[in-house]
Amino acid sequence: MQTGLEGKTVLVTEVARNLGMATALAFAAEGANLVLGSLDGGELLEQAAHEAAASGAKVVTASCDTGDEGQVRELARKALAEFGSIEVLVNNALLPVEPLPLDQLSFQTWKRKIGVELRGAMLVCQAVVPSMVERRWGRVINFAGLAAFNGDDPISSTAELGMIGLTRGIAREYGKFNITANCICPGGVEDPGAGEGLVYPPSDGDPLPRWGRGGEVGFLAVSLASEDAGYLTGQCLLPNGGKFFL
Amino acid sequence: MDTGLKDKVVMITGATRNHGRASALAFAGEGANLLLCTRQSMDLLEETASMAAESGVKVVTGQCDVSSEADVDAFVNMGLSEFGRIDVLVNNAVWRVRESLLELDDEKWGAALAVNVDALFLTCKAVLPGMTQNQWGRIINYSGIAPFRGVVGQGTLKMAVEGFTRAVAKEYGRFNITANCVGPGSIEVVRTPGQESSPHEIAAALDIPVPRQGTVEECSALAVFLASAQASYITGQAYLVNGGAHFL
Repeated sequence: MQTGLEGKTVLVTEVARNLGMATALAFAAEGANLVLGSLDGGELLEQAAHEAAASGAKVVTASCDTGDEGQVRELARKALAEFGSIEVLVNNALLPVEPLPLDQLSFQTWKRKIGVELRGAMLVCQAVVPSMVERRWGRVINFAGLAAFNGDDPISSTAELGMIGLTRGIAREYGKFNITANCICPGGVEDPGAGEGLVYPPSDGDPLPRWGRGGEVGFLAVSLASEDAGYLTGQCLLPNGGKFFL
Repeated sequence: MDTGLKDKVVMITGATRNHGRASALAFAGEGANLLLCTRQSMDLLEETASMAAESGVKVVTGQCDVSSEADVDAFVNMGLSEFGRIDVLVNNAVWRVRESLLELDDEKWGAALAVNVDALFLTCKAVLPGMTQNQWGRIINYSGIAPFRGVVGQGTLKMAVEGFTRAVAKEYGRFNITANCVGPGSIEVVRTPGQESSPHEIAAALDIPVPRQGTVEECSALAVFLASAQASYITGQAYLVNGGAHFL
């Protein structure tokens, strides 16, 4: 399959978690340049960069707290300085927080997680979309998850369904510039960076009773970003083994 | 139809006008007592209160910034000490964003998230312990049509509202507490100067199956139904009052 992604620049906001690494490697295999962000930065980020570079991709890294406008701008600035354009944006920033019932959740945790994930996604789009408009070509790929649909965990379901709303908004506003926006909502996919966040182990009742693989999500991201996906916008894809039917 | 709402206590945020005022009057019409708040115009809130009181129900008002944890806790505690219980929460306070992606600065986006989304967290967290204790409760959040049209700011906010509603529904169903959304379409409302419906929006409302704008009363009727005894098995849903502008 010709994806047309060779030489294009892909920005992944969180490479250390939320299937960011699997996604980055899938783009690297297509010959794309990579800009990799991570909330924690440090060792994980360098390791990710190393792995991606091993497949021949040009890689730029930066630690980035997407809840901080200045850091988001700096990430985009660095990407543009290095590669001159950003064609694909993967919005997958995630703050792993132990899922707690509402009565045990502090307002501080709520604000912080919503800040990194939902408020931050808007900031990232603002920083990156103008470069896509300039070239009349772009792909925005937002990550949400199963909680958006089944209501697991108050913060996750709020931020994730909000991400889907943002996806539709970008799709509507920027379609005329040949920019598409879609959502990937994984559930039950093995993620080494899951930390103490929400996970969905396989259950016997699932249509596909096994863990999903990161590569299966990376494939979807690459597919959505490819040239021939140009008429698909504002939609959600749910790699979840059939755990939830949309 | 006996909605079973007589003597129940209904808290409504942003009850100064439009949907908030219409729900206040609709619940008062069912004999429910009211706990009403606003962040801004106490004059308008008192006007709503005296209109509602004509139905012979008790109405308590207060000023409350629903994005402030301290304000919400104080207001809910005041309500609980006045009434001893809060049975229904109607989250109606909104801050509408009309900006496109690049016009929406982070300060405004943060404020919009605070009033439209954080407020749900704070109000629900404050009223749910009492509802849990009573083994009965209804949460009604106002979402809207923006998620289906695709609108960067409003669509994100309203889908976040629906996401939160699903989580409350999931967690509290076992306590006989339901949480649902009312999603108004294009509705005739009084708008803050500068936030009026555009002529385009009004014209678009004529091009739907029910070719007109809706009224706030057509939305509050749904809120009353969702709060009624009859709606006890409906939870985690969003119902659209939009004249058929979008089919879910």
